[in-house]
Amino acid sequence: MALGVTYEGRDPALLEKMLPHVDYIEVTPETIAEVKGEEIVLSPEVMSELKNIGKAVKIIIHGVSLSIGSHEGWSPNYLYLLDDFLQQIDVAWHSEHLGYTKVDGEHLGIMLAMPKTEQALDLVCERVRTIQERYRFPFLLENIVHVIPDFPGDYSEAGFLNALTERTGCGLILDVYNLECDAHNHGLNIPEFLDELNPTNVCELHVACGVEHNGFLLDVHSQLPRNSTVDLAQYAIKQVAKNAQVVVYEFMPEAVPGLGHAAIAEELRHLRARFQN
Amino acid sequence: MDLANHQRILLGLIRSNYQVRPDDDAYFHRVSQSRDLEEARGNIFLWRVYVLERTCVLTFTLLKQRNFLKQELDAFIRQHNISPFRETQAPAFLETLSSHSDPLIASVAQFELSLMKVRQGDPRAYTVSWAVEPHTILNNLAKNIPIEEERVPDGDYQILISRDLPSLFQIDRCPTEYIG
Repeated sequence: MALGVTYEGRDPALLEKMLPHVDYIEVTPETIAEVKGEEIVLSPEVMSELKNIGKAVKIIIHGVSLSIGSHEGWSPNYLYLLDDFLQQIDVAWHSEHLGYTKVDGEHLGIMLAMPKTEQALDLVCERVRTIQERYRFPFLLENIVHVIPDFPGDYSEAGFLNALTERTGCGLILDVYNLECDAHNHGLNIPEFLDELNPTNVCELHVACGVEHNGFLLDVHSQLPRNSTVDLAQYAIKQVAKNAQVVVYEFMPEAVPGLGHAAIAEELRHLRARFQN
Repeated sequence: MDLANHQRILLGLIRSNYQVRPDDDAYFHRVSQSRDLEEARGNIFLWRVYVLERTCVLTFTLLKQRNFLKQELDAFIRQHNISPFRETQAPAFLETLSSHSDPLIASVAQFELSLMKVRQGDPRAYTVSWAVEPHTILNNLAKNIPIEEERVPDGDYQILISRDLPSLFQIDRCPTEYIG
């Protein structure tokens, strides 16, 4: 099992400590974008850094603002950035989140999960096919955290993902910390979910950790992963996601000063050892 | 349940500008009364804090020192369609605060916004007026030291911000006008 980590550029000292432990670097185009006049463009400085990294590890793209589930259409800005990125750097695959961040062009400020209805499934499947035709290399979607109670739709959580992958052939990212948040906040039964999930298309797993606030477990990627999260990822790989190729540890750049470069590197070393066994 | 309607109602609930109607699906009644919704609104606030405390340090620190942060950020979230692109949030926030009724907040926000533009290559020069001596204020905000306003001298000052200046900005005392 390969190991990956998020990197948003502009921190070469952190990168130097992380690179010996990982095979993949996960990049989020929005976080390396900058404002230039009226446009949002990829930072040439970070792109140059990534071009050099690409010689040592594989790059994977993980977007956050496509808003694939918005009823009125997705965000073209994200695709412009993705196009620009792909013209400059080869990537192993690209991915997004199964949810939406805007409604009628109004940004929610947070990502919401799709209602598990036939209409929502049809809409997402059609858009996945459009992306697959446009880019012609693997596209993955991630199970996101439910920040509000789930709508009782036509499918279970895993059933919706199964139908999506069966109809489109797209890959899945299984974010096990998101599962833990959903279990803690909304009572998701993780063993039942994993039993029902068709594991064939799970290509990637995510581990992360946030904080507990007002009794809610938050998906803020500010901590080192808990043992329970790593255990769950290991269980999922052995029992379910046998085709998965990489586990990615995600943290946000704002967390780096608090965590420290050495602790992040040590965590990667630890994760490497855990997932090699 | 129609997807568009579903998403519009949730947007309204998140933004606190939709009242659930008696004939709305029971699901929306449940969401509107849930602790989850309140927590989601809190998370949106915190995400903005994470971004803005890093990207507009001076103005953010001043708002915090004056206990205006929550009020101003809540208003910003309510009134603006904030892009998910982090880099667009600081300019939008600073633009809003540039016309703040508190002249010091307005001056600091205008200064920080102009500096941001110039650093990004804007060839224009900007002038920001101040009603107090700016050195002490900017120094304290940059180091997160509380501003003792009674110890900051009043006076008419201007800061010129331009990429042609060695440190990108220059503080000048405005000439005193005599009425004879």
